[in-house]
Amino acid sequence: MAFGGYPPPEHLLGDLGMEAVLTTETTARVRTRVTPQVASPAGGVRAGVLATLVDIVGGAIAARVLRPDWMATADLTLQLVGPVLGPCVEARGSVVRRGRTTLVIEALVVGVDEDGNDLVVDGRTPDPVAWASMTFAVLPAQNPASSVQMAADLPMRWAFTGGGLELPILDALPVTVLDGAVGRLSVPVRPYLHNSFRAIQGGVIALMAEAAGAEALGAAQGGDGSTVVVTDLQIAYLALGKAGPIVSEARVLGTGPDGRAGAVVELRDAGADDRLMTVINVTAEPVALLARATS
Amino acid sequence: MTVSYSEGRPDIDRRRHVSDYFRLERWEVPPPDGGEGPSSLLGRAPVEPHQRGAGGGLRTGGLLTSLDSLGGITSGLAVLPQRIVTTSLMATVSELSHVGPLRLQADVLRRGRTSVVTALDVVDEGAGDCHVAAATMTCAVLDPGAMQLEFERPFVLAMPEPQADPVRPEEFFCIEPGEGPVTRLRLEDQLRNPWGILHGGAVAMLADEAACRATVAAHPGAAGPNGVAATDVVLHYLRPVKVGPVEARCTVLGTRAGRTAVRVAIHDAGADDRMVTVGSVTALAV
Repeated sequence: MAFGGYPPPEHLLGDLGMEAVLTTETTARVRTRVTPQVASPAGGVRAGVLATLVDIVGGAIAARVLRPDWMATADLTLQLVGPVLGPCVEARGSVVRRGRTTLVIEALVVGVDEDGNDLVVDGRTPDPVAWASMTFAVLPAQNPASSVQMAADLPMRWAFTGGGLELPILDALPVTVLDGAVGRLSVPVRPYLHNSFRAIQGGVIALMAEAAGAEALGAAQGGDGSTVVVTDLQIAYLALGKAGPIVSEARVLGTGPDGRAGAVVELRDAGADDRLMTVINVTAEPVALLARATS
Repeated sequence: MTVSYSEGRPDIDRRRHVSDYFRLERWEVPPPDGGEGPSSLLGRAPVEPHQRGAGGGLRTGGLLTSLDSLGGITSGLAVLPQRIVTTSLMATVSELSHVGPLRLQADVLRRGRTSVVTALDVVDEGAGDCHVAAATMTCAVLDPGAMQLEFERPFVLAMPEPQADPVRPEEFFCIEPGEGPVTRLRLEDQLRNPWGILHGGAVAMLADEAACRATVAAHPGAAGPNGVAATDVVLHYLRPVKVGPVEARCTVLGTRAGRTAVRVAIHDAGADDRMVTVGSVTALAV
């Protein structure tokens, strides 16, 4: 399904295969399948993919709550909590506050079965996979920047369907590592990655920040992007990335005695005078540390 | 509504009472060559023994209070004569043990019509400028109406003298003793900012304390030899806290590899129990 032509037939959101349901006027669920293409180096789902899921559930709720106005994501945070169990993950979002200029939404990401039912493991519901929050800026109706004009009646259910990812998601974007030690990565701006403003989609930004932070933090510990797992993303969206390529750079903050480490990643639009688009605080842990915790 | 610097407490200047507790020195750095861009601000604060937490350094709630104070003045100066209110604070703490003094820097990333986004950074001068924390703060820009704060420019505030009778942060911020998933704060007048509402730093300290208590209560094994300490924090300030008492209600989401994720919802019990802040805290075994 597409809203006013968005997303187009060939699009990352379709290839991720997201199914959404608006459960009330202010709550929604969006589910995607766990596949090897979206796996993190520790075997769970990449934080950037979960952030994409969260962005979609937040957007679904915001579109309904704010209509006929439109919205842009101002910030998004994601904190990994527990391992991914089950064949699917589902983001369950709800409105925390609607103001005149902003809308705040929080979401819990949980593991579910094929039908979206909660998992039961050893007689109990497992810990959630992640907690997330978002702030949306309210944009007045008929905003000419957006390609989407909201229909008066939004469907209660829809699915973004595509051919699926044949490559690992970072290769599908594709992300090119220019200098891993400083987190310098590049991704093109193309319709496959667009949001409704024909700029790079917020989830892609999260994926790129995750990859840039992991490369820099892994290198700082003598490894690379595959030796650490990003556990926390704190994203401040400052400007749209429309020209491209989008280029990242990471500043490593420090590494604790157990290898837990943080970085600040900046994304710039190289085709728009290197305009600063996004700033992301990234926290990561060594794969070995997480493996010990879940074994 | 009018601005009151000392309503009800002539001995207290609401513009600086909370930041003075952490002895935060602040000074404005105007843009080079008289440019039109927003000023940056720098700050410095010692790490007092009574303000250290389980991690060995300034506890994260205190760090966030200083970040809120520095980021608030940075954002406020950037939009004068309009005023600002903090709407979100996202911080990642890379070092819990500090020598001090800490040096803070605030730079405006984006100054829009309805919001200001500021980047904040903290290093430990006493530990060779070891990095301590990075944060991003968003403020909403508000019509000042009749409310006008006066500032001398460039803005400079010297480091306050040490307290003669120092108290721990929990006592300063009127956080009631207790344990378990719910922690309360009494809204005393000295914790109000010039607009008469609870200082954002007090909310941060409450979130820190509440999340650590909830972690220990839910998973006693999650504590290390020194207990637990808050590290990464996300706070969405949803509504002003006007009445009190203020109650932080925690949900422990899960524990893995020595880190516990806690959702914190803060309510103004005296104002129809409305939720005023929601966020998350990572509590680390130390």
